Amino acid sequence: MSITYQQKSIVAKGNILGKLKKEVAGADYNKLPTETGYQYPTSSFEAQLSQFTTHLEANHAQVIKLKETDIAKVITEQLEQRNINKLLYGNSAPICAMLAGVGHSISKEVYDFDLQAHKNKLFNDMPAAITNSYAAIAATGSIVLWPTIEEPRTLSLVPPVHIVIVDAKKLYSNFTQLISAQQWQDKLPTNIVLVSGPSKTADIQQTLAYGAHGPKELIVLLLNS
Amino acid sequence: MSAQQFDPNESKYAASARAFRDNVTRDLANDELRDNFRGAMDYLMDKRKNAFPNSDELETLREQCKLIKQRCLLKLPHLLEQLETNLEANGIKVHWAETITDANDIIAQLIANKNGKTVVKGKSMVSEETALNDHLETRDIECLESDMGEYIVQLAHEHPSHIIMPAIHQNKKQVADLFAKNIDGFEHTTDVDALIGEGRRVLREKFSQADVGITGVNFAVAETGTLCLVENEGNGRMCSTVPNLHIAITGIEKVVEFLEDVPPLLSLLTRSATGQIISTYFNMISSPRKSDEKDGPEEVHLVLLDNGRSQAFADDELRQTLQCIRCGACMNHCPVYTRIGGHAYGTVYPGPIGKIISPHMLGLEATNNLPTASSLCGACGEVCPVKIPIPKLLLRLRTESVKVRTSAPEVMKGESSGRKTLEVIIWKGWSVMHKYAFIYNTAMWFATRLRKLMPSKIGVWTSVRTAPQLAPTTLHEQIKTRNNQKNKGGK
Repeated sequence: MSITYQQKSIVAKGNILGKLKKEVAGADYNKLPTETGYQYPTSSFEAQLSQFTTHLEANHAQVIKLKETDIAKVITEQLEQRNINKLLYGNSAPICAMLAGVGHSISKEVYDFDLQAHKNKLFNDMPAAITNSYAAIAATGSIVLWPTIEEPRTLSLVPPVHIVIVDAKKLYSNFTQLISAQQWQDKLPTNIVLVSGPSKTADIQQTLAYGAHGPKELIVLLLNS
Repeated sequence: MSAQQFDPNESKYAASARAFRDNVTRDLANDELRDNFRGAMDYLMDKRKNAFPNSDELETLREQCKLIKQRCLLKLPHLLEQLETNLEANGIKVHWAETITDANDIIAQLIANKNGKTVVKGKSMVSEETALNDHLETRDIECLESDMGEYIVQLAHEHPSHIIMPAIHQNKKQVADLFAKNIDGFEHTTDVDALIGEGRRVLREKFSQADVGITGVNFAVAETGTLCLVENEGNGRMCSTVPNLHIAITGIEKVVEFLEDVPPLLSLLTRSATGQIISTYFNMISSPRKSDEKDGPEEVHLVLLDNGRSQAFADDELRQTLQCIRCGACMNHCPVYTRIGGHAYGTVYPGPIGKIISPHMLGLEATNNLPTASSLCGACGEVCPVKIPIPKLLLRLRTESVKVRTSAPEVMKGESSGRKTLEVIIWKGWSVMHKYAFIYNTAMWFATRLRKLMPSKIGVWTSVRTAPQLAPTTLHEQIKTRNNQKNKGGK
């Protein structure tokens, strides 16, 4: 009987690691040089918030600053402007509370289905989606999405318009600071995505075009109380 | 390339790399191609420059990232084991492949296990390296590239001419013609938004139907067992989220030790590549779909490929090749790449990084010409975000190519294959001549006196240049005469 691909993989692993180990056997890790990172100047919260929105807007996202009480009104306005009458959302308590006042012109659909059985629905029948966000990064204008059972990964990916709620209280100055402040190495979930604008490409003659495969529009609702 | 031409025993790129000189002649004569590259390189150089307004920051980051990569390479075998342990603990299966054929076989088998028939691919240069599409085609598996640039290249039956912007060699008119030829119902337009919209329409349908998603990996984090993908379009997210099976393939050098190693590398990667402070998406995958989760693949696999990397690893100097994070800045700044374009190299990885990595993948015999196709201007080394001394490595490979074959253990496959008897004799003569003044002076005397006998046509040299003319007397003689005259004048 011929050997299976699993057996072959085990042999390959042994060969590869054998070769590598031979070369670095006895390496003294204590002698490694010190790695010095760049010390970014600290800036005020206001400066960071402005950095965050400037970068996002430069990347073609629409940033709307608002109070929590206005969320439903703003969502209704934004969707009506685009002639969208359906909004997909995740069944989490904060989002449900925020959406309670969304106008009657918008029908709200909850993402409570298994994607494998409902791909057609998600790809062809959902013009807009709303998600919460986990954190935000000022230095790069990035929004950290931490998908959950309530807010699946494709909720922020497939519908052409993505509305995301960002709480300014969760703003971090840069990615390194975020990782170390929250000790991410101890608790990574299935998936984390940093989103810094709508989907785009410059693959045809270096001409920037938005809406490559993901959302064409990213609407950021920025809560700053 | 059609399925019949695929030879599993040798990479198809070995033959095209051997044809380097012919490729160069062909592509230098193509004015449209040269315009496309010139425009693109100017654009990318400008973007990078604007992304690094602070040179202190840039230099600190480069030094830091060089040290990060060197640490991770020093610990590589240990980190690979740690990566495997943590990925498996997270539910991601790990497979090891020494050769491109083994990697392709593993992937084909994983697809067959799930009865997969259709594949959507995110951008992966390692899968280009293994010619995965050709391989799957022979097994009747449809494999569709979904990165817009890769999609264009696939429609044109070409391969990427740039590692970051695969279709950089085509302009929008060429893309429009290609779409018109291949997509039913496409109304001819050169409007880029419309062209991208068309690609989006076609590919979205494929995302929703495909059985399998295949992607590359930008960083594999050992301490957490996480696969990181950098992209702008969202197709990487689609491929790794929508189909039920996700297979990632990467080279063994992509592993980093800590999660905290990622931010500085990411920052240098996107800024060096396209001048973006960050890509639109940075996707971190640590597990397949968990119970109760509503989407995501049921199975995630990682294929780790060697394909010559362990050979580069074995030599302290050549090991620096593996520091590469595949940003493409070296090609964007290369005067040779800008002129000949990405296809002329004949290899998967073109430009300066291609010249130093391809010999390990394809052997130095097939790639002899590559290290010599450089003016050694040093631009590649200066812009490299992880400070790979590319010009130095090019010189080293030139040496490896022509060194005397001895019984010493081989440094690399195909070493000494560029050694030519005539060249050896010429250099021997040169060396003897310069050692003995009498021979040197006599030879020079004859050369200058018989200068009229020099032919006006000297092979390829004069095909694009006028023939050089020797002076009537040697430099030594001229200086002697000048000094004599000076001395006379002084008295």
